[in-house]
Amino acid sequence: MPHDQSLAAERRNKTLLSVLLGIVCLIWCLPVVAVVINSFKRNTYVKTETFALPNEQSWAGLDNFIKGMTFGNYPFKSSVTYSVIITILSVALILIFCSMAAWYIARVNSLACKVVYYLCVFSMVVPFQMVMFTLSKTADTLKLNTPWTIPIVYLGFGAGLAIFMFVGFVKSIPLEIEEAAAIDGCGPLRTFFSVVLPMLKPTLISVGILEIMWVWNDYLLPVLVLDINKYRTIPIHIQYLKGSYGTVDLGATMALILLSIIPVIIFYLACQKHIIKGVAAGAVKG
Amino acid sequence: MAHVSLRHIKKVYPFAEHERKGLFGRKKNQEKEAGHRTAHLQVTDEGVLAVPDFNLEIDDREFIVLVGPSGCGKSTTLRMVAGLEEISGGELYIDDKLMNDVAPKDRDIAMVFQSYALYPHMTVRENLAFPLKLRKMPQDQIDAKVMEAAQTLGITEYLDRKPKALSGGQRQRVAIGRAIVREPKVLLMDEPLSNLDAKLRNQMRAEIIKLRQRIDSTFIYVTHDQTEAMTLGDRIVIMKDGVVQQVGTPQEVFDHPANLFVAGFIGVPQMNFFDAQLERVGDEYVVHVGDATVRPSAKKQERLLAHNVGSQPITLGIRPEHITLTMDKDAMLTGTVDVSELMGSSVHLHITSLGQDIIAIVQTMDVDGDHRGGFALGEKVGFSFAGNMVHLFAKDEDGSNLEF
Repeated sequence: MPHDQSLAAERRNKTLLSVLLGIVCLIWCLPVVAVVINSFKRNTYVKTETFALPNEQSWAGLDNFIKGMTFGNYPFKSSVTYSVIITILSVALILIFCSMAAWYIARVNSLACKVVYYLCVFSMVVPFQMVMFTLSKTADTLKLNTPWTIPIVYLGFGAGLAIFMFVGFVKSIPLEIEEAAAIDGCGPLRTFFSVVLPMLKPTLISVGILEIMWVWNDYLLPVLVLDINKYRTIPIHIQYLKGSYGTVDLGATMALILLSIIPVIIFYLACQKHIIKGVAAGAVKG
Repeated sequence: MAHVSLRHIKKVYPFAEHERKGLFGRKKNQEKEAGHRTAHLQVTDEGVLAVPDFNLEIDDREFIVLVGPSGCGKSTTLRMVAGLEEISGGELYIDDKLMNDVAPKDRDIAMVFQSYALYPHMTVRENLAFPLKLRKMPQDQIDAKVMEAAQTLGITEYLDRKPKALSGGQRQRVAIGRAIVREPKVLLMDEPLSNLDAKLRNQMRAEIIKLRQRIDSTFIYVTHDQTEAMTLGDRIVIMKDGVVQQVGTPQEVFDHPANLFVAGFIGVPQMNFFDAQLERVGDEYVVHVGDATVRPSAKKQERLLAHNVGSQPITLGIRPEHITLTMDKDAMLTGTVDVSELMGSSVHLHITSLGQDIIAIVQTMDVDGDHRGGFALGEKVGFSFAGNMVHLFAKDEDGSNLEF
C-alpha cells in the first residue's frame, strides 16, 4: 500500500534524524563533559587522558578546587563577589530599562521610536572588538570602571538584544488588555508594572538567562575597563591560574570553570519551566 | 445611572496617523474597519472622517445599541465615549460634565471588550478585585463586592482559576463581572458576544437582559448582529459609514425603517425590494408592481399626502414574513421556487419573480399537507401582500422612506 510505504519512510526519516541530532548533542556536550571529568584529575593527566574517566592514579578529589581557589594572592571569594555584583546589577538594569523602553517603542508608532528600535537592532551586529578601545577610554573618563558602575556599560551593550526580544513579545500582547487597565484606573506606570510586566515573565526569564550567561562569562569588557589589580571577576581570576614561564594548572582551571558554570545551570534549571509561550493564553479569545 | 450626551461628535483620523497606536497616543484604529474606511468614508483635508457628526441623548439607565456593518464607526464612537479614542470635534457629556479631555479612569465607566481582555496572570478573583483595589477600597468591601458580582454571574466556583482555565462563556462572564463590580455610571460593551458560539450567545444575551434589570448603569452596546440589537436595546442606533441612519425603539425601526439601508439591515431574512411605480390620482395613491396593483393602507395614504408625495418611480419593500402564498388566481405576483429551506415551523422560500430573487417565509401550518416538507424546485407559486405591510422608498441616493 502506498500509504503504508510513505508512513514507513516517514518513520525511517524520523529515526535517522533522531540519531543524527543525538550525535550532534553528544559532540555539543563533549567540552562540558571534559571540564567535569578533568576537574577531578591530576594536572598531568588532563593533557594525556583528556576524555578518560578519572582512575585511581589520576583521581585528584577536590584538590583542584582547593588549589584553584587559593592560587596566587587574590582571594577567589572576592572574584565571586564582584562577578555576582556585576551580573545582578547589569541584568537587573537591562531587564527593567529595556522592558520599559520596548513597551514604549512597541506601542508608540513615531519616527523617533522606529529610529531607536533600528539602532538597537543595529547594535547587535556591531562587534565588541570594534568599539572596545574607545569604550574603555570613555568608561575610564566617566568613572564607569568599578564593579558598581560597569553595569551601565553592560546595559548599553545588552540593550540591543533585550529590546529586540521584548518588542517582539509586547507586540503579541493584545492592546485591549492595556486599554482595560486604563479604564479600570491604571496610569501608564501602573499599567506597566501591574499588567504588562507580569505578562512579560517568559521573555524576562529568557532575556535574563541570556544576559546572565553573557555577563557572568564575559572576560574582555571587565579586563579592559576594570582595574584588574583591585577588581577581578571569575573569568579574569581563571585566566590568572598560570605559574611562571606560562605554565597553566589545567586541573585547577577546569575546577574553577566547573564552579563558575554551576550557578548559571542552577538558574537555568530553576527557570526553565517559565520559559514557555502562552502566558497570555486565556486573556483573549484563543 | 447617568445621562450621556453626545453632541456633534466627530472623529477624524489624520493621514499621518493611520497606523495602529497605543495608550500613549490613544490613536488606535480598528484594523477591521480600516479597510472599509477609505472605501466609503469621506476624506477631507484633515484626514479620513470616520464619524462626521454624531448626535445622541441617552437617558439615565437606558440601554442603547449601536448597530451597523463593519467599518460604520460604531466601535469608534464607543471608544470615544470610553476615552480610548480622542474626540476630534464636538462634546461628550456624562451627567452634564464635559468629558472630552477626562482620562478613561476618571469617567466612571467600565467596558467589556470583544476579546474579553482579562489579565492573564491574575485569578478570576484578582481580575474582579483589580479595579476596586486601584480605587483603594478596604479589603473587606472588595471581598464582598467580588462575591456579589460572582454570584450575580454564576462564577463563584471559578474564582481561584486563571482565565486560561475557563471556557469562552466563563471568560466573558468574568469580563462582565470586572465591569459591573465597581458599579459604573456607564457600562460600555463592544461586541461582547461575537466570540461565542451561537448557543452560548443566546444564553449570554438572556444573561445580559437579566443583568440589566439588576444594575443601575446606563448601557451602550455595540454589535453588528441585528438580533442582539433588537432583543437587547431600548433604542437602537443604526449607523452606516459613520452616519446615523435612524434612532428608535426596535419596533419602530422594524415597522418604519427610515431608508432602504435600515430596511435591509434590520430583519432576518432581509426585506424584499421591487422596482415599482407610485401613482397619485387626486388624493389617492396606488403602487404598480409588475402587472399587480397595491393600495397602501389609509394611514400610509395620509402620511404620503401630508408630505405631498407625487407620482414617481419607487422601491417597494415587503418583509418575507408579510408575504402570503396564494395558490389560486387571486395571486398578485407569481414566481418559481429556487430554493426551499425547511426551518421546522416555517419554510423559507427563495422565489424568482419579476426578474429578481425574493424570500418568503411560509408557516408550515398554513400550507397544505403536500408542502409541509417544503416546495419542489421550479414549482410555480403565486403570492400576495397587504397594503398596510408595504414600505415605499424614494429612488434617491439615500432611498429615504416616503412616509417620513
